[in-house]
Amino acid sequence: MTDIATRPADAVSPPPRGRRRRPRLDVGGPRAGTIAAFLTPFFLPFVLFYLVPIGYALWQSFRVVRRSGGQYGTSYTTFGGFEQYVEVFQNQEFWSSIGRIGLFGVVQVPVMLFTALVMALLLDSPLLKLKGFFRITAFMPYAVPGVIAAIMWSYLYSPQLSPVVDLLNAIGLHPDFLGPGAVLWSAANVSTWLWTGYNMLIMFSALQSIPQELYEAARIDGAGNWTIAWRIKVPIIAPSIVMTTVFSIIGTLQLYSEPAVLRQISSNISSTFTPNMLAYTVAVGNNYQQAAAISVVIAVITFVLSFGFMRLTSKRAGL
Amino acid sequence: MSRTVTRTRLVIAAATAGMVVLAGCSSSDSTDTASAASCEPAKGKVTLQYWNTVNGMDKVVDLWNKEHPDIQVESKNISNDQYGAIGNALKAGKAPDLAQVGYDQLPTLRTQDAFVDASACKTAADAKSKFVPWTWSQASFNDSGVFALPQDTGPMALYVRTDIFKKYDVPIPTTWDEYADAAAKLHKADPKLTITFFDPNNAEWFNGLLWQNNATMYSYSDDKWHVTVESDKSKQVADYWQKLIDDKLVRTDIANGSTQMFAAYQNDQMATQVGAAWGYSGIRDNLPDQAGKWSIVPLPTWGPNGNSGDWGGSTVAFMKGGEHLYEAAEFNTWLNTDPEALAMSNELGGLYPASNDGLELPALSKGVPYYNNEKIFDVFAESSKKVDTDFAWGPTQKTVNLALQDAMAKAAAGDGKLTDALAAAQSAALKSMKDLAIPATAGK
Repeated sequence: MTDIATRPADAVSPPPRGRRRRPRLDVGGPRAGTIAAFLTPFFLPFVLFYLVPIGYALWQSFRVVRRSGGQYGTSYTTFGGFEQYVEVFQNQEFWSSIGRIGLFGVVQVPVMLFTALVMALLLDSPLLKLKGFFRITAFMPYAVPGVIAAIMWSYLYSPQLSPVVDLLNAIGLHPDFLGPGAVLWSAANVSTWLWTGYNMLIMFSALQSIPQELYEAARIDGAGNWTIAWRIKVPIIAPSIVMTTVFSIIGTLQLYSEPAVLRQISSNISSTFTPNMLAYTVAVGNNYQQAAAISVVIAVITFVLSFGFMRLTSKRAGL
Repeated sequence: MSRTVTRTRLVIAAATAGMVVLAGCSSSDSTDTASAASCEPAKGKVTLQYWNTVNGMDKVVDLWNKEHPDIQVESKNISNDQYGAIGNALKAGKAPDLAQVGYDQLPTLRTQDAFVDASACKTAADAKSKFVPWTWSQASFNDSGVFALPQDTGPMALYVRTDIFKKYDVPIPTTWDEYADAAAKLHKADPKLTITFFDPNNAEWFNGLLWQNNATMYSYSDDKWHVTVESDKSKQVADYWQKLIDDKLVRTDIANGSTQMFAAYQNDQMATQVGAAWGYSGIRDNLPDQAGKWSIVPLPTWGPNGNSGDWGGSTVAFMKGGEHLYEAAEFNTWLNTDPEALAMSNELGGLYPASNDGLELPALSKGVPYYNNEKIFDVFAESSKKVDTDFAWGPTQKTVNLALQDAMAKAAAGDGKLTDALAAAQSAALKSMKDLAIPATAGK
């Protein structure tokens, strides 16, 4: 904040307000039971379905399978240190899947968020009519479950069935949406279609909370709609843009359902196409320890990227 | 419909990471003793769990339940995630008494100590002679015990649009060489027409063709698995299809059983299907306009009097932890050898029986109206008898299949060759076995 009020130099500034000390929770007192009772419904599932599986995955990722005796001998697991992690880091398939996802994210996330931002600004602008209609239609894809959306798009991509492909063929274009070069972008398109409206709504909500006086002041200063949009609105809603970016980074690294569904109709999506698909494929091969290690590495990469992005932008976005 | 061959995958995005985590449970398995469990009838009423993926199986089970008040069977359909359900139940120590397991997944589950040996149950052990030889050799792991009873098979054959062959005056091929000639002639006559499609995402189908050429992929000796996924025999098959792909004589953009596949047949764009016994109803039900135009002939062979191949089929396995082996053996034997039960499974679930008597069922000796009243099942029965009995599956078959598919898809897209896919599958086999501490070596 800039302090525009000028004070007389001899004005005594009020003593700095220390933070008022809250009475410490009297753990073990009569209130502790009440607090515990209220927190249990959250903590119990949180521990059971969140912390325990994570801990278990971590523990599994440090185990290796050993076997004794015979063609179908006994298998058991034992502590193997970082053996599974060494395997993951040496796994060419893993790094190609990370690379693929990286390429996907670098293109898809900016395109999607830029589109969402433009749509949000349009909805917020005084020029647009039928706002309610556009808001609902843009948000509607988000109501469709990802798997269903992917199945729907499979039909639109499929050369034998798609009216879109027929139409394009009729005007002399012959796109192959499922070809080796295109299929990644076909999946990206499904993700974009699914999530743009959702991200738009988050940005739009942020825009709604900007006080109108700002715009009035800007107009008096001679700003047009364009200037208001890019110089006032965008900087103010920067925190929500950062937030949607972080969610999108996480979503990209976890990508599974769109390519897994498209895999049914395109042979150009391998069983190791995305890191999550690789983890699933390894688990299907009964190599749970390796799958756990892959999952842990994916989680760490997700953590580093999303928090890295936040650190990078937090100062500028004023988070 | 095929049951072991459909490529259903569990597609639950959010659950995936969690599933991977939750799926691995108990850390040690007990010894695979291979010594037969005892087989004594229980006192009083027994209820058995039987997991399967067969349509209408509950009705077959009802028939048994009516006649056997003391041995009640509960049938549960696990089509959604067959091996996931079985694997998780094993890990949790809650496996059913009997479960449907595809032939190619038997060794995988055995390395996870999933089965119990029912050799001591006379009813089941004596059933050996009742089954098509190759099915018994796979279900019993070369006669080392009675771990499962064969249920159905997928002997391969060639589905042919005879009208198209007539129209262009091309003889119906009986060997693979003739098939390649026919492919060239048909495509020359009509550039929109290909003889068939090659689905790179279908390892099970390709495995059937490798099996036909006696391309043994696994053997066991000197305390080690010997991996020969990549061999001269398998390369011969790969090279053959590679040439058809290179010459654009087969399409590679079609998945087996997909809407696109039926659309292409509907539009007269493909003239044959390299299929299996369970596929006859799919053609019949999806292409009703083409009744009378399809015929089923023996699979083209490598040279005269060659073998046939098998694609799919399942066994009903005796699962570890079942407490009522005697009753399980009684029901399992009835289910897979009794003519009435076989007839019902065939009628309701489309199962093509693995038992010799099953091949003689009235329903399987009649002409089929859709196929010009031809006795198509005679072709499948003949095929079934010509399937190599020495062929064996590996203990990490699923992983190998996926690696093969990924590399075949690359080859189909022009990145490498099908022989590279065999090499990829070979190294995937060795790596996955090493990861699971299964002793393995390359070559014979």
